[in-house]
Amino acid sequence: MKRFVGLVAFAAFLPAVVAAQVPFDRIARAASEQRDWLTYSGNLASTRYSKLDQIKPLNAGSLDLKWVYQAQSLQKFEATPLVIDGVMYTVEPPNTAVAIDTRTGRPYWMYRHTMPPTTYVCCGNVNRGLAVLDDTLYMGTLDAQLVALDISTGRKKWQTQVAEYNKGYGVTLAPLVVKDKIVVGPAGGELGIAGFLAAYDAKTGRELWRFNTVPHPGEPGNETWAGDSWKTGGASVWVTGSYDPELNLVYWGTGNPGPDWNPAMRPGANLYSDSVIALDADTGKLKWYYQFTPNDEWDFDSVQIPVLADLNWKGKPRKAILWGNRNGFFYVLDRTNGEFLLGKPFVKQTWAVGLEETGKPIKAPGKSPSSTGTDVYPGVQGGTNWYSPSFSPHTSLFYLTAWEDYHTSYFTWEQQYEAGKSFTGGTARGPFPSIMRDPFITWDQSWGHGVVRALNPLTGEKAWEYKMRDVSDAGILTTAGDVLFSGNREGYFFALDARTGKELWKRYLGSQVAASPITYTVDGVQYVSIAAGHSLFTFALRK
Amino acid sequence: MLLPVLATLQAQEHGSITGSPFSTPADLMQGARLFRSTCAACHGLEATGGSNGPSLTTGTFKHGGTDEDLFRIITKGVPDTAMAAHPLDGEKVWQLIAFIRSVNIGNGAAQSKGNPAKGAEVFAANGCARCHTVGGTGGFLGPDLSDIGARQSLAQLETSVLDPNAEVSPEYWSLHARTKSGQNVAGIRMNEDMDSFQIREASGRLRSLWKADLASSEIVHTSPMPPFRGKLQAQELEDLVAYLATLRTRGGSVK
Repeated sequence: MKRFVGLVAFAAFLPAVVAAQVPFDRIARAASEQRDWLTYSGNLASTRYSKLDQIKPLNAGSLDLKWVYQAQSLQKFEATPLVIDGVMYTVEPPNTAVAIDTRTGRPYWMYRHTMPPTTYVCCGNVNRGLAVLDDTLYMGTLDAQLVALDISTGRKKWQTQVAEYNKGYGVTLAPLVVKDKIVVGPAGGELGIAGFLAAYDAKTGRELWRFNTVPHPGEPGNETWAGDSWKTGGASVWVTGSYDPELNLVYWGTGNPGPDWNPAMRPGANLYSDSVIALDADTGKLKWYYQFTPNDEWDFDSVQIPVLADLNWKGKPRKAILWGNRNGFFYVLDRTNGEFLLGKPFVKQTWAVGLEETGKPIKAPGKSPSSTGTDVYPGVQGGTNWYSPSFSPHTSLFYLTAWEDYHTSYFTWEQQYEAGKSFTGGTARGPFPSIMRDPFITWDQSWGHGVVRALNPLTGEKAWEYKMRDVSDAGILTTAGDVLFSGNREGYFFALDARTGKELWKRYLGSQVAASPITYTVDGVQYVSIAAGHSLFTFALRK
Repeated sequence: MLLPVLATLQAQEHGSITGSPFSTPADLMQGARLFRSTCAACHGLEATGGSNGPSLTTGTFKHGGTDEDLFRIITKGVPDTAMAAHPLDGEKVWQLIAFIRSVNIGNGAAQSKGNPAKGAEVFAANGCARCHTVGGTGGFLGPDLSDIGARQSLAQLETSVLDPNAEVSPEYWSLHARTKSGQNVAGIRMNEDMDSFQIREASGRLRSLWKADLASSEIVHTSPMPPFRGKLQAQELEDLVAYLATLRTRGGSVK
C-alpha cells in the first residue's frame, strides 16, 4: 500500500464504496415515490401515475419551459427517461445512452453503442429507454444485445447477446427489472422471427430463463401453428411489461403473428401471439395467458403496457389488468388467473361482430385481407398502439390515446421467407396517416383523428374525450394533482384536467410527440419532461 | 516519428494492403504529406483524431476497413457525416491508405518485448483497478483502459505510467470549489457552461453546481494518479506496458 502515498493529497478523490443507488425494494415502492422516476412506466404496476401534486388544474396554465436537450441523432425520440437522484438517464436513437443534469439540461456522459452497419429493424431506429438496478443501467440495442452500463460514468460493464440481429431480431423496448433479473425480448414481428421473453442475471448478463412466445415443437401451444409456420411466427415483444410482487408474476404483451397479413400461411390460433402472458418471475414458466386476437389477420399487436389496477369489481376487490388493445377493444382481466371480465370497443371497429362470453372475438365475414384490398376499422396502426396508457387511482379512470374513425385497406399475398428480410405476407394501404411523414397535415378528417379518451374501467364506458385534428403516438401521464399530460403528431404537448378532459395548457414543440411523459422533482419542485422530434423538453411552474 | 513506423509497416502483415499498387516507403512518405494537407484538419496531425473526425490509428474503421472501403470513403465521403468526398487521383488515394495503415498502433502488443501475463500481475499488485476499468470491472476515477492498447502506442503507454501528468485529457481535469455556504466540493469536471458545473464526485455521485453559489472554484489540470517513475523495476514496467498494449476491445464509446 506504500505506493499509494501519492494519493493522500487527493484523498477527496479516493473512490469510496458507493451505496447502491436503486436497490430493487426502492423500485418495488416506486408507486409511492415522491421524487424520482425509476422505471419505464413509473412503477411496476405500469400505471404511469405519479403522486406528485404541485401542478394542479388551477395552476397548470403557468407551466413554463425549463430546458431543452437536443439529441445528436435526428431519428425519432421514443424513449421514456429515468430520473434518479437529480440525474436523468435516457436513450437517444438509435442506442446512445445519456446522463443529463435535471437542473440545467447539460449532459454528464454519453455512451454510444456501436453496431454492425447492416443492422435493420422494420419501423424506425428507435429505442424506448433504460432500466436501472443498484448502480447499473440496462439498455437493449437494435443489434439485439443487452448492455449494462455503470451509472456514474456510462462505462460498459458487460454486453450479452439476446438474439441474432441478422435474422431480424432487435431490442427496442426498455428492459424490466424484476428482483435480480433483467427481462427483455426481441422486436422483429415483420421480419419472420420467432419471439421470446428472457431474463438475465443483473450482475453478469447470464441468461436465467427464456419463455418462447412462439412455442417450439414439444412445447404446449406449438400445435396452434400448422407445419413449420411457428419458425417465422413473430409474437415479438417490443414494449415493457409489468410485475406484481405479491403474485410474483411478470406480465407481458406480445406482437402479431408472422406473416402479418397472410393468416392462410399459419392456420391455427397462433399462440402466444397477440396475447398477454403471465410468467413466474423466478422460472419463466407460464402461469396463464389470454389471447386477444387468435389467428390475427390485421397486425393487431398486443404489445400494449399491462396496467395493473386493484378494482372494486361488482362489490368484490379484484386484482385486474386493464388493456386498451390495438384491435380496438378495451379489456379487463383478472390478473391472478387471466379470467375475462370485460371487453368493449373503445373506437369504431368492423373486424369483429362482438365477443363471446370468454372474450374471444367473433370475426365479421368479409373482413380478411384480400388481393384487391379490404377496408377495415381500425386501420393498421390500431385503435391504440405502443404508447403508454395511464390509470389514476385518484380518479379511478383509465386513460388512453386512441385513433378514432380510422381505417385501412388490407392486402394479402404469398411470401417467401428470407432471413432478416421483411416478411409481412401483404400490406396495408391508405388513405391513412403513415408513421413517417413531413410536418404538413393535409388529409381529410374522414381518414381518422386522435383522441385522448378516459374510460371507466368497471364498464368500459367513455367518461370524456379530448379530440385532436391529427392522430397521436403520445403516451399519457396522470398525477395526484389530477392533471393529465400527453401530446400528439401535431407537435403539441398539453395538460388536461384528468376529471373532465378540459384543456388547461398547451405548447407547440415544433415536431411530433411520439413518447410518453414523466414527472419528478428537482430541488423540491415538480418537473414534467417529454420528448418531441429529436429533442427533450422539460417544464415546471413559473415561479 | 515516421521511421519506426516505416519499419513496422514492412514487418507487419497488412492483409489486403498487398492490393495497393502504391505502398513503397516513398509512397508512404508522400501519403504522410498528403495526409497533413488534406486530412489533418479533421483527423489530427498524427491521425489520432480531432474535433471533427475520429482517430484512424485504432485499426478499426466504422464505415469499413478494407482497402476498398477506405478508397471509397476517401473518394466518395460518408453521407450524413462530416467526411466529405475527396476526388483525388487513384495514386494519391493509395498513398493515403498506405499512410493510414502505417499509423495503426493496434499492433503494439505484437511489438512489445514484455510479458503481458506478468504485466497483468503488476497491474493487480499496484492497485491500478481501484481507479481504472478493464473489461467492465474496476474503478471509475481514471480512464477506462479496456481498449487503451488500440488508442496509445507503447511509448505513450510508458509515459502515462511513469508520468501521468505529462498529458491529462481535459475530461479528467478536476473541479475544486468552495460554496458560499462554506462546503468544499471536488470532483471530475464532466461539463461546464457559463452558469454551471457538472461533476462526478469521488463517491460516483453526479452533481451539478450553480457558479452563482460558489465562493471560489479552480480547475486542476493534474492527474490524481501517482507517478510510477522509480517505483517499478524496468522489467515490471515493460511487462505492464505489454499488458496494456493487449487491451483492445471495448465496443461502444463513452464521452
